Amino acid sequence: MTTADSPQSPTAGAGTGDHGTGGRDFGGEPLFGPGSQFHTLFNDPRWALAMIRATVLEAAHPQIGAALIENSTFVVHPWRRLGNTFMSLRRMFGADDHVRQREATRLNRMHARLHGTDARDRPYDAMDPAVRAWVVATMFESAVTMCRLSGQPLEQKTMEQLYAEFQAFLAAMGDGAGHLPHGLDEFWPYYDRVIAEELENTEAMRIILYKLFDHLPAPPVLNGFPALWATGRALAGPVVGAITVASLPEPFRRRAGLPEIAGVQTLMQGAYLAAGLARFLPEGWIKAESIAELVTLSPDSDDPRARTIAALRDQMKRAGALMRLITPLPAEPEPATATTAQRSAEEFFTDVLDQTGDGYLDWPDLAAMARELSSRLDLDEPEETRLYNAYADWWRELQTALDADGDGRISAREYAAAVPSLAGPALIRVAEVLFDVTDKNGDQHIDADEYRALFRTAFHRDTTKTGETYSRSAFINDFLSFMSARRRTSPYDPLIAEA
Amino acid sequence: MIDVIEAARAAGVGWLSLFAFSTENWRRPDAEIEFLMHLVRRVVRKHAPLLHARGIRCRFLGVSDPRIPPGLARDIADLMTLTGRNRQMTLTVAFDHGGRRDIVEAARSLIRSGVSPEAVTEESFAAHLPFPDTPDVDLVIRTSGEQRISNFMLWQVAYAEWVFPPALWPDFRAPDFLECLHAYRQRERRFGGVLPNQNGET
Repeated sequence: MTTADSPQSPTAGAGTGDHGTGGRDFGGEPLFGPGSQFHTLFNDPRWALAMIRATVLEAAHPQIGAALIENSTFVVHPWRRLGNTFMSLRRMFGADDHVRQREATRLNRMHARLHGTDARDRPYDAMDPAVRAWVVATMFESAVTMCRLSGQPLEQKTMEQLYAEFQAFLAAMGDGAGHLPHGLDEFWPYYDRVIAEELENTEAMRIILYKLFDHLPAPPVLNGFPALWATGRALAGPVVGAITVASLPEPFRRRAGLPEIAGVQTLMQGAYLAAGLARFLPEGWIKAESIAELVTLSPDSDDPRARTIAALRDQMKRAGALMRLITPLPAEPEPATATTAQRSAEEFFTDVLDQTGDGYLDWPDLAAMARELSSRLDLDEPEETRLYNAYADWWRELQTALDADGDGRISAREYAAAVPSLAGPALIRVAEVLFDVTDKNGDQHIDADEYRALFRTAFHRDTTKTGETYSRSAFINDFLSFMSARRRTSPYDPLIAEA
Repeated sequence: MIDVIEAARAAGVGWLSLFAFSTENWRRPDAEIEFLMHLVRRVVRKHAPLLHARGIRCRFLGVSDPRIPPGLARDIADLMTLTGRNRQMTLTVAFDHGGRRDIVEAARSLIRSGVSPEAVTEESFAAHLPFPDTPDVDLVIRTSGEQRISNFMLWQVAYAEWVFPPALWPDFRAPDFLECLHAYRQRERRFGGVLPNQNGET
């Protein structure tokens, strides 16, 4: 039997330096790009359910769970996170070796920054090869399970090819062989062992299962319709959670004390089956790429689809206005909704600063901002480190100025008590570094292309006198007025606060 | 109120403005203001679907005071959003409105725009007023037998004809409105030599 690391296809055994070989394949089939199993998988609607399931299994790993809780923005900015993950997978599994290598380097740099200790003082490290192998294992296993659950199990050969592709993915990340078992025969015992011995009922897993879907914020394009979104979410949220639980391996459900609800098993299989039937839809109807782009699209962007959506939003807005007007008034007066140009300190804290949504401002929140900006601008070294360092300096400045009780983090109350003394030298430094890294050609002006890379939209601002560029001082001013004066309606809103 | 709006629309009036609440009205007792705000909110919500169905664009002139209850402000915003594309008739509700304040605001906006004093004309000044597309008022109906202007759309009423029916506003109905319209048609309008603008009613 051919395995992935047979001499002809040095996939799983490939080290860091082994890239650009191009000719990697599995029994004549390419491991990446068109023709690969993953490529087919990508546009399969079932893949969405499978990815949620894989994420839950990842979050149940104590190290990954801790890293997610401490650093991830997925609770507050799930759509941005989804868009980034999607883009990353596309680069990693695309046909271009160079793109893959660059993305792997970027991911490694990003993960190298994610380490620490969890609530029980156990260390976690996003670079731990065993942990990374588990992430890949859950994706592979969820893909296999998704096919089984919808009644179309993969053939042995296809399964082997898919496994080889995921091994190649791990190898492209630079991890040596051995962390994932060589062959499928060894994979299943490995998988069962991790499920039985290592996974826990982690907080991150509970948040994904029971909180994320019930509180999922609307994607940016639907921001104007809170009522509509809330209604759909109230129906779909618990169902997605229940379906995911039912699809988890039985031993794990038992050990983590997850509920068994009568009928949900059938519902879950029905959902996979129904999603599987979508393959009979005309080609092009379901394109994961378009969907992922759509949910992360900012309504203000100048993408033509955004304009269509803007027209649709307009109609929906009128429908929403009518709905509200004809809905009988509640007995209690509604709370005031602030729509002023300035946010209150509390709003700014939750919308912008607290990226991880744990109620505190901490280094991971600022690191998340640096991470988002780095990936938007597609930064390489040393620019990425410069940006992180600027953010780190700002964090120290904030901590010194605002952490009144000395617990190392800043609560919403500490923040509200101390504003507006926020625009210190370190924040100005962040603005300057952000300008430098955005100004790719270094001409001291941000031109239309550079602006688009950062804000994903063309200039909207008053470009009086300066022509179609954005000067250093204007850029820094705008950034500071967003970060310290909490001004709304700037291009920074879709960049940092929404999504 | 709604039957006056209906009558105006049926008579082919393109612009109708109602004076609901002036900036000076805030001086009234709190209880009365609260009652009034409630009333306005009920009226807005009750008639919103009909106004929209009739193709009436609703706009609110003023509405800047933070004392306006958020619920009402929301409904007002919703009504404007809902009817924003209608063109059968434009209904302007002056709410928390003061004619002088509008003129002062326009002056501020003009100064901020940095035009030279010589460049300011009546037209360019009017462009800084709220809803600058509103034409000059042709007819003002002042109900309740009162004969004063009460700081109402001061700029726009410059060449308006005035009628003073004795009926109180709550009793003022469609036939009364048509009577005023008839009276207006008998007037000879000369504009002191100024050419007439579009038709419009108050």
